[in-house]
Amino acid sequence: MVKRIFAIVFILIIGFWMAKALDQVPFGQDRMLVGKYYLEHVKEETGAVNAVTAVVVNYRGFDTLGEVTVLFIASTGVAALLWRKKRKRTAKTEGSVVLTTGARLLLPFIMLFGVYIFIHGHLTPGGGFPGGATIATAFLFLYLAFTVYEVDHKIFEPLEGLAGVGYVTVGLIGLAIGGYFLFDWIWQTWGIGKENIGRLLSAGFIPIIYTLIGIKVGTELTGIVDNMIKEPEEGGQ
Amino acid sequence: MSQYASLLIALPLFGAFFIPILKRISKSAVMPFLVLVTLIQTGIAAWVFNEVYITGKPIIIMAGGFRPPIGINLYIGHFAALFVLVIAVTSLLMTIFSFKAVSVEPKDKYAMLFLLLMLGATGMISTGDIFNLFVFMEITAISAYALIAYNKTGEASEAALKYIVLGGIGSSFFLVGVALIYGSLGTLNMAHIAQLAHLVNPTVAKAGLALLIFGLAVEAEQFPLNAWAPDAYQEAPHPVTAMFSAFVVKASLYAMGRVIYILSAVEGWSSILRLLIILGTLTVIIGEMSALRQNNVKRMFAYSSIAQVGLIAVGLALGTESGVSASVFHMFNHAIVKALMFLAVGYVAVELGGTEINKFEGLGKRMPVTAFAITVGAISIIGIPLFNIFWSKMQLILAALNAQYTWMVALILGASLVEATYYIRLIHTIWFKGEGEKVKESSVLALVMLLLVALIIVIGIYPEPFWNVMQKAGSDIFNVAQYIKNVPLMGVSP
Repeated sequence: MVKRIFAIVFILIIGFWMAKALDQVPFGQDRMLVGKYYLEHVKEETGAVNAVTAVVVNYRGFDTLGEVTVLFIASTGVAALLWRKKRKRTAKTEGSVVLTTGARLLLPFIMLFGVYIFIHGHLTPGGGFPGGATIATAFLFLYLAFTVYEVDHKIFEPLEGLAGVGYVTVGLIGLAIGGYFLFDWIWQTWGIGKENIGRLLSAGFIPIIYTLIGIKVGTELTGIVDNMIKEPEEGGQ
Repeated sequence: MSQYASLLIALPLFGAFFIPILKRISKSAVMPFLVLVTLIQTGIAAWVFNEVYITGKPIIIMAGGFRPPIGINLYIGHFAALFVLVIAVTSLLMTIFSFKAVSVEPKDKYAMLFLLLMLGATGMISTGDIFNLFVFMEITAISAYALIAYNKTGEASEAALKYIVLGGIGSSFFLVGVALIYGSLGTLNMAHIAQLAHLVNPTVAKAGLALLIFGLAVEAEQFPLNAWAPDAYQEAPHPVTAMFSAFVVKASLYAMGRVIYILSAVEGWSSILRLLIILGTLTVIIGEMSALRQNNVKRMFAYSSIAQVGLIAVGLALGTESGVSASVFHMFNHAIVKALMFLAVGYVAVELGGTEINKFEGLGKRMPVTAFAITVGAISIIGIPLFNIFWSKMQLILAALNAQYTWMVALILGASLVEATYYIRLIHTIWFKGEGEKVKESSVLALVMLLLVALIIVIGIYPEPFWNVMQKAGSDIFNVAQYIKNVPLMGVSP
């Protein structure tokens, strides 16, 4: 009891202090040093009309590479910890008619929508992460609807790796051509798509990177679903 | 040319992403591939070290070709160059050890997580952007969670879960701290933050800094947040334990030092230093006291490691250049010694099936080289002259005296005394108790251990050149004005 009161008092003191600090932060005011620069220069420097995408892939592309890696670690970690020699699906009943028919009918459209999201990342809200997650939803649908469905690991795992290798390679090509890691050589050196701003074929390497991220996120999340849904044979071991 | 130092990040990433493809081609090629990648990484790190120390100028890598603070930059100065090399070399040695120590499947996943742990620590040490620091911290932490639970025993899962809970809380603290600083300055670049630090409201800066420190304290194993560490050290695969103690903790400690000193222009800054001194002191006391009571040698080493880390934090928080340099020296020495000791104790566990103290009876006769390595490491940690840690403890004491913290001398000497108690007990058990059959020791691992022993003794006898390097590395953290000058900030100002 004393312990609990002590904890509550402690939390209240820290909370008060934090609130005082938050009160002093000029959130929402014109303190956007770097932000303002982005807004003013985004078109000429990256060719993307979606400034958020330009910040994510170009200006802070290094962070994005890191975030992709974080997701990769999560999926690898799940796979490593749930690894057993033989694992299979144990679901007993098929999904209802609505679910199975819906999964069959909607599958291509969900996939298409996912691809649309990541290909248009430099034009509309969204990008590689939500696009990939949408694609993974399609596979989740299949897992829920059918008791025997399984993705082919022989294809999915190398594809995931390939997308990652592709991202690093794009960065390394930038290093070779422009002299900087993750340099947008398509836009800044070759100047492809300069007259095309606001259309699909513009914004340098953003569509390429977002496609790679989309594939990667899609395969990774599907892999996590697959690992979590399957169970080892003869229960437990 | 210097931009090619970004390969330090690109190479381990490329390696980790390539392993799933390699596995399809040949499964047995995965572990040799791991050796190859760490070997190349060591080569690049050696080149970077050479470049930085010969020119005396840091390498600034600008990702995407955007100048900071618009883009993200890596800052490989004297400290980063030194520790990137330490990370690469330790990883290389631990990959060799992994052949022997890791038998649980799936090894390809182990190899990926191993590379990403190395990548995360490398990134934490070399980044010049505070949000990028968070990203690399996450990479390090999440691969660490998975690696701790890798053996898939109940205890390992429990240890990993403890770490996940604490690590998650720590990460969110850190993120809120970054948000506070970004909210008041509008920039994330560390040099830019340092330049504008005097503009931050003192309450905000102190709250932000405290949040950053508590966030990093989870991984830097400082007192109230280090409950996960002993379990994790004990249950993780042996090479991973060695990597933890040798560089993962050090990366977080460095990050702590860096964020503290870049905000040194803030009003009331010294109260934050005092906070860290209190945390560090408690870490030392509690670590040493707990180590004294352990019957499991690996766990005992873990507590001893925590105590040393406390000493490093205290040194960083002295607020003087000599304190920081002494801390860096201690980090370096401790990395070598603990890599050696966890390697040796892990090897004993592999050969004799456990790390309880009774397994070590007669070790001097059963595995003489390993026993010799543990002995040298133990003597060094206690702080006997002619071994490397003597010099760094000495420098810490001198720095504490200079900074008018006389009681800290008692802390360091007292800690050494407690260390002497439990390490001499261990040495006694190893050499003067029990008998046993001789076990054939792997010549490669014996070579690795003797190499590290030689390094310990060389630093112990000729500390001067090493101390010069450490002073440069220390002033890299301490001298913020120089740090700001080194980063080619473009003129975005309020």
